Amino acid sequence: MSLDFVVYMMVNTLLVIAAAPFFVSFIKKVKAWTQGRRGPSVFQTYANLAKLLKKEVIYSPHSSRIMRVTPYVNIAAALVASLFVPLAFVPEPVGGIGNIILFLYLLALGKFFMALSGLDAGSSFGGMGSSREMSISAVIEPTTIIVFAALAFVFKTLNIFTIFSVTAGSSTPVTPTLILLGISLFIILIVETSRIPVDNPETHLELTMIHEGMILEQSGRNLALMELSSGIKLTLLIALLINLVLPFGLGTTLTVAGIAIAAVLFLLKGVLLGGIIGLFESSMSKMRFFRLPSLFAMAFFFSTLTIIIEVFT
Amino acid sequence: MIPELFITAILVLLGGALLSFALSSRDERTVRTVALGSAIIASVFLAALSLFTLLTGQNFVFTVYQPFPYLAISFFIDRLAAFFLLLIAIIGGCVAVYTVEYFEHLGGGARRNHLCAFGNLFILAMVLVVSSATTISFLLFWELMAASSFFLVMYEYTREETRKAGVFYFIMTQLSTLFVMLGIFALYVQTGSFAIAPLTAAGSPLITAAFLALFVGFAIKAGIIPFHKWLPYAHPASPSPISALLSGVMLKIAVYGLIRFLLDVFQPDIWWGVLILAAGTTSAVLGIIYALKEHDVKAMLAYSSIENVGIVFVGIGLSIILSAANLPLLATISLLGALFHALNHALFKALLFLTSGSVVHATHTRDIEHMGGLAHRMPWTSGLFFVGAVSISALPPFNGFASELMIFSAFFSSVAVVDPLLKVLLFISLALFALTSALSMACFVKAFGSIFLALPRSSESEKAHEVSEMMLIGPGILAAACILLGLFSYKIFFLVGYPAVIPDMLLIGILLLVMAALTYAFLYFFASREVRVSETWGCGIHSQQPATEYTGHGFSEPIDIIFSAIYRTRTKNERTFFDRANCIFAEGTGEIRLMKVFEEYLYLPLARFAVWAAESISRFQNGCLDTYLLYVFVAVVAVIIFLGWYA
Repeated sequence: MSLDFVVYMMVNTLLVIAAAPFFVSFIKKVKAWTQGRRGPSVFQTYANLAKLLKKEVIYSPHSSRIMRVTPYVNIAAALVASLFVPLAFVPEPVGGIGNIILFLYLLALGKFFMALSGLDAGSSFGGMGSSREMSISAVIEPTTIIVFAALAFVFKTLNIFTIFSVTAGSSTPVTPTLILLGISLFIILIVETSRIPVDNPETHLELTMIHEGMILEQSGRNLALMELSSGIKLTLLIALLINLVLPFGLGTTLTVAGIAIAAVLFLLKGVLLGGIIGLFESSMSKMRFFRLPSLFAMAFFFSTLTIIIEVFT
Repeated sequence: MIPELFITAILVLLGGALLSFALSSRDERTVRTVALGSAIIASVFLAALSLFTLLTGQNFVFTVYQPFPYLAISFFIDRLAAFFLLLIAIIGGCVAVYTVEYFEHLGGGARRNHLCAFGNLFILAMVLVVSSATTISFLLFWELMAASSFFLVMYEYTREETRKAGVFYFIMTQLSTLFVMLGIFALYVQTGSFAIAPLTAAGSPLITAAFLALFVGFAIKAGIIPFHKWLPYAHPASPSPISALLSGVMLKIAVYGLIRFLLDVFQPDIWWGVLILAAGTTSAVLGIIYALKEHDVKAMLAYSSIENVGIVFVGIGLSIILSAANLPLLATISLLGALFHALNHALFKALLFLTSGSVVHATHTRDIEHMGGLAHRMPWTSGLFFVGAVSISALPPFNGFASELMIFSAFFSSVAVVDPLLKVLLFISLALFALTSALSMACFVKAFGSIFLALPRSSESEKAHEVSEMMLIGPGILAAACILLGLFSYKIFFLVGYPAVIPDMLLIGILLLVMAALTYAFLYFFASREVRVSETWGCGIHSQQPATEYTGHGFSEPIDIIFSAIYRTRTKNERTFFDRANCIFAEGTGEIRLMKVFEEYLYLPLARFAVWAAESISRFQNGCLDTYLLYVFVAVVAVIIFLGWYA
């Protein structure tokens, strides 16, 4: 493992942790604007996390070790996954880091533990959340895999680093195929980060919540870890989409100035995408749970179509 | 050295079985311990010799017994055989360790000695099948395996469900032998020898027929849909260690047979690969979908075995397609993935069957709706089951993920296949494979959650207690193997000469640990350390009650509804009324029943056909001497005419 890569790991991880709460707040801010409210500050999530760190943790007497380790497994999986998606500069890949399939399954690792922790305390809210989350993630999985297989197919590699260095180095990065894949990735982002129309991150109402239901039993610093890991997941998917479709500024060599510029550019592009996500969420209402499979089927056929176009041309 | 070790292992196994048979009237623990101990010792020998063969890559051929010139009982151990010998040795040994105490909790008195004896014979038969050098000894030991496992399944023969399972199992397993025999016979007709050697001629219809017969024979034994129905019957009926052997090892012997014949005898066509891939994908998807619906923990694990064998078949089929498409590296990755998944599935499925056996022993029920809260009452068992659940859900850095990752990467890179139609087929198969892996995660979240988490949902579950040490050591070894095989998968493949087929999982494991440790350190210094255990909010109720928990049924309900077309539930609603206008309700019944699609549309019609055919033939045998004389007369006349015609 070269020095470059160690620097990359530290810079990328810190950047992800720093940016994640911002994107979470920023999307909320956009939604507030569209509703004619001023909304909380874009730094509100930082304050929330700091507040949660100071609070005590309460465990239900029925909960087991699962409840106690879940926050750590979740954050560790999210942070390791964050090493797979370069935000500002792309080093040479080391070992299996950057493998697309491994990336997806690291996210699944967090989800598995989260679903179990939802069942742990025996509360019916938690169980409901876990049950819905597992159903949704099962139905969206074929689409996700097909989209990533299409990415691997288009770029002839399984490594996210290689994909990014191709897009960063290419003079005409945006091809029609990439745009189609970008749209599919956007749908996956909406589903995976529990946003409208699949889930509503804002409510604690039993009819609507999925992700929030699972973490209802979490409190204090554990809740802070869960919130941060879902923020990291959002940031990673945003970064994946941005660096595929709008890669300009993404560096492939390690210089301080290059990283600084790329980081600022990434934030700006993230703000753009965050705005789109906010507007997208504001423009529709939450779907009834059992109508979701048809939405996913649409996404599936869409991504399959991309592949078929790609295969037959 | 290796042949002697092998013979010793076989003799030790046989000795244990014979001793147990000889002393079958004495209901003593010592007899059983000696028999199981011999299985453990034999496993150690087998593991040693197979590890040696795997690492050095040497082949061993030796003949033991030759009654006729054509009929030699000879053995052949190469890397492939050694790999499966290792699988048998690990699982067999761990199951035997577990069983030493498990059998003492089992009812049945001195019949338990028979169970030990047949168990040893069963392991012996599997060892011999794997190391057979000729097709004829393969067939012979295949039948020994089928017969000895039948007695194991029938252990609790007094129960109605066991008898039903036994009949099912017997018919299916004999059908499997029949098809394997037909295949081997066709090969004999083609080549004139019983050697397992490459065919020189290719493409003749007889060879295709031989392949199809062998494929059906192996698919029945492996539980590939639509030949799977014996699995969910036989597993709940037999004692848990036996289920672990059946599911963990015997299914893999069928996989071994398929791989052996495909690699060493046939030159597979591309459509053979497509057939195996299609069968594997179907089994994988339907297997896990049925598993989600199942609330008998052992039937659920049985369906999940169908799924995992499906995944192994997907790997094999993919490998044939890829090698036919001239992509040897990807074909190797895919085949290695299939083999590795076979080993991994053996490990975690045996682990899950053994730990669920402990749970069933502690709670006296197999219904997961009557369990719950066992994480506090059986902390070690729950930890071991958890390792199995994480592995089978294919989560990094455990072993189940490592093998699925290899198959996934072969799929992702398989787009280099030229034929566009084949590409589309591969993508569809990939999508279904992805669905399988996500559903198996849902299935094991449900299983672990319902069995171990939250509050106990029955008084038995409330009173459950941890099992004794030997029943933890056996599964404990398997759990350790699951973790180590996952973490060191890269190193292992490097050692046996296949570098860079898989990303380094150890790095991922270390990174996960480092990240968790850093987070812990950060929180330790910068966050509140207060912890309180107190009733959390539950929608305004005073205290949490088992009745308000989410049940296993409830958990899988959304998936039931989404996949209702596959489950084929049949809703019955019959009502009678007092008046003509159907206003005053008299009585009625309503039920929602899960249709047994394969049983109702495939098995029963076939069975009825067999019965009908047998009845038609039996009319000839009416017990009347005159009729029989007529038959003889007709036969003689026919022979004379036939000879006259040709002479």
